[in-house]
Amino acid sequence: MKNRRPGGRQNKLLSLVSRLLSGVVLLLIAGALPWLSRTDPAAAVLRARYAELEPTPEALAAIREQLGLDGGPLASSLRWWSAVLRGDLGNSWVSGAEIGPGVWQAVSVSATLTAFAIIVALLVTSCLIAPAAVRALRGLEHRGSGPVGVALTALPEFLLASILLVIVSVQLRWLPPYGWTGLETAILPALALGIPAGGLLGRLLADAISGAGEEPWVNVWRLAGAGAPVILSGVLRRAAATTIDQLGLVFIGLLGGAVAVEQVFAIPGLGRYLLGSANAQDIPALQAGVLLMAGAAVLIGTLTALARRWLRGGPLPPGSLPPAPEARGDGRIARFTAIITCSALLAILAFGLPRDPYAIEHQRLAAPSLFLPFGADSSGRDLLARVAHGTLGTITPAVLIVLCAIIIGLLLAVLGDISRGPAEIANATPPILAGVIIAALMGPSVGGAALAVLWVTWPPLTAHAASLIDEARAMGHIRWLPLAGMSRFEIFTRHILPATLPALLRHGMLRLPGVALALAALGFLGLGAQPPMPEWGLLLAEGIGYVERAPWTTLTPAIALVLTSVCAVAVAGMRRAPQKPVRAMAKTAEPAPAGISGA
Amino acid sequence: MSRAVLEVAQVSATYGRGAKERQVLAPTTFEISAGESIAVVGASGSGKTTLAEMVLGLRAPSSGRINVQGHEWAAPHKLVCTERRRLVQGVPQDPAAALVPRWTIRQSMAHAIARLLPGESAEHLIAQATELAHFDPALLGRRPSQLSGGQAQRAALARALAVRPAVLVADEPTSALDPQTACAVSADLLATIALSGVALLLVTHDPQLAARCSRTVRICAPTQSRLN
Ligand SMILES: Nc1ncnc2c1ncn2[C@@H]1O[C@H](COP(=O)(O)OP(=O)(O)OP(=O)(O)O)[C@@H](O)[C@H]1O
Ligand SMILES: [Mg+2]
Repeated sequence: MKNRRPGGRQNKLLSLVSRLLSGVVLLLIAGALPWLSRTDPAAAVLRARYAELEPTPEALAAIREQLGLDGGPLASSLRWWSAVLRGDLGNSWVSGAEIGPGVWQAVSVSATLTAFAIIVALLVTSCLIAPAAVRALRGLEHRGSGPVGVALTALPEFLLASILLVIVSVQLRWLPPYGWTGLETAILPALALGIPAGGLLGRLLADAISGAGEEPWVNVWRLAGAGAPVILSGVLRRAAATTIDQLGLVFIGLLGGAVAVEQVFAIPGLGRYLLGSANAQDIPALQAGVLLMAGAAVLIGTLTALARRWLRGGPLPPGSLPPAPEARGDGRIARFTAIITCSALLAILAFGLPRDPYAIEHQRLAAPSLFLPFGADSSGRDLLARVAHGTLGTITPAVLIVLCAIIIGLLLAVLGDISRGPAEIANATPPILAGVIIAALMGPSVGGAALAVLWVTWPPLTAHAASLIDEARAMGHIRWLPLAGMSRFEIFTRHILPATLPALLRHGMLRLPGVALALAALGFLGLGAQPPMPEWGLLLAEGIGYVERAPWTTLTPAIALVLTSVCAVAVAGMRRAPQKPVRAMAKTAEPAPAGISGA
Repeated sequence: MSRAVLEVAQVSATYGRGAKERQVLAPTTFEISAGESIAVVGASGSGKTTLAEMVLGLRAPSSGRINVQGHEWAAPHKLVCTERRRLVQGVPQDPAAALVPRWTIRQSMAHAIARLLPGESAEHLIAQATELAHFDPALLGRRPSQLSGGQAQRAALARALAVRPAVLVADEPTSALDPQTACAVSADLLATIALSGVALLLVTHDPQLAARCSRTVRICAPTQSRLN
């Protein structure tokens, strides 16, 4: 029982050491990626470049030396970093060409796209926060951010991109469906990327503005005769200060979303570059792409930290993981929506599970009929069966991921501040980036995708577990249990765990739809489940090629995904008590809405 | 009474670490013999609860030494009491703290007996303790939330007495009760002590109750502490 709560200084030191250590380890791992690859890098290069050569030991050794792979992972990592510091990003394993020019061109494309997306996001944000600002200025009661914001964040980027592509480019033929040739090719991608981000930003800010508007100082200013612009700027600054950490995460989430959007619209940006090199297992190219993307994330993180300093007048106290964005809304509507969407998914399961998802027994691309309610796909397989089995194929790993995250969370929460550094890095990693790296190392698989999603799921659960365990330990009857002769182990397993598990499980269940969407996003990009396995993201990717001739191939998996997305947002909004919203509680327990957790 | 059951020698306590370290209990010294009762009084925040927790073995002192029946019990930053937990039991200010909410009173008592007095008949000990504590045996099957404040306080007392402690620590055991019940419970407490020969360390704000104890230890601001 003694030393239960280590004092401040030791705490600070521990989390500082943890952060530094995990930073250094991350850099070393980035440098040693070729060594972590499951395939022998030399053999991979040999196959790619000199298909006619036999993989004899001599040939392999020669290639290893040529690639600078001799000397083990640490040596090659250090060599890679010293080359990077000299501005040399190395040569591709596949083409043998220099990586630098290609990747920089991709970066410039992505930067342009992101700039457009940020413009869209800011437009959406200002539309969403305007009503809240007006209400705050007039001193009116607070209202939730409303259904518009929820609707805008309901769809993850890859889904919104596919839908825009189908409707605007294919059906209406207003804009070109893919490429990067002019302003007209940038509109749809910018919308697909900017709308969810703007919706999320707008919702966070609108709620924060309503909260700030209810604070007593606003009335004092008003009584003192301050004009509307003065009050408005005060309220905005206050709202930005309370949400700045979450805003930073939204912008970092843009980097991950960009990978999916670039893939859908065939834009030669950094995301597509990463996907391409992951598929080709071209590790040096992947390393360069990851380095630049991590650089962008660090840049955003630094800007966020600077903005926070300016807004709050001080650095972040050590060891405060930014809480995940949280949704608000009418509890009853949210519950109703969640129930409706869940029952629709259950209906698909009930009708589709008895059918065979693999049998090729229908006409190719057969239209929906009474006998074949969802139609057939391009190989003549029953789409209802495939979507239903895809539900299982997506939800089952999602449940496993959440359970693993809970177990990891409990273990790390017991260890305490040691996990601070990895948790911060993991919390800021877009799941798609983690998926790309894992797929490049191990080849694409359901397990790899699950690992990537797990990587971003454990930090919030760990933070929640830690606070729940602290709470339980402070409970009177648990503090006094040693008097009854109980060992610390027994107290933990029989009293602290039972007191924390229900809340943790509930939190995990709330995250389930978001986790499922993240998995589907990876499947859609080809980083997860492989054909012919039925999986939502994969089904959508397979269908999108036939969208003109047979729209149902795209629509049916999209419906399942939309149902899940809506369910995710509704479930996230359900946590609010319907009567009186509690404000400004630094909760790490809220699940992230689909918008940023999905892609 | 040659030998003291409980010896507290120059015990002090601090919270926090490093620059934030703050002394909350000045070095305190006293002894209790069997059958004796000592009242600990002092202003709010003077460290009475902290002292009680250290005697109970829930917190290590930052200096000084505590002995129970001549054996070392706690040394600076070290608790060595795990072997002889039974010897010091307590009644908390909030009786719920001594009882596990989802267990019945009987279960709480039986679990403690099974661990601290293995081999003894739980039924017999429970019957003895409920009688000593004036706790109605008909309520043994209830959970703490199903008892009134006075009943719960008596249940906590019975739970503490069930393992035959040598020292009983009571931290403002009646402050959550109405005056009448408080009077009855504290009268029972003192009578029980006289009957069972347990040494009592009673933290209280009530001067009348303190006057009925054998001696009073007054704890002052964390600069001095003297024995009356
Ligand atoms: N966990 C803690 N961390 C830091 N300081 C604490 C902690 N718990 C108690 N203190 C401080 O220790 C001092 C002594 O607390 P304690 O609970 O022993 O007082 P007390 O004499 O029992 O007061 P009361 O009569 O009000 O119950 C107080 O100043 C309190 O603020
Ligand atoms: Mg106290």
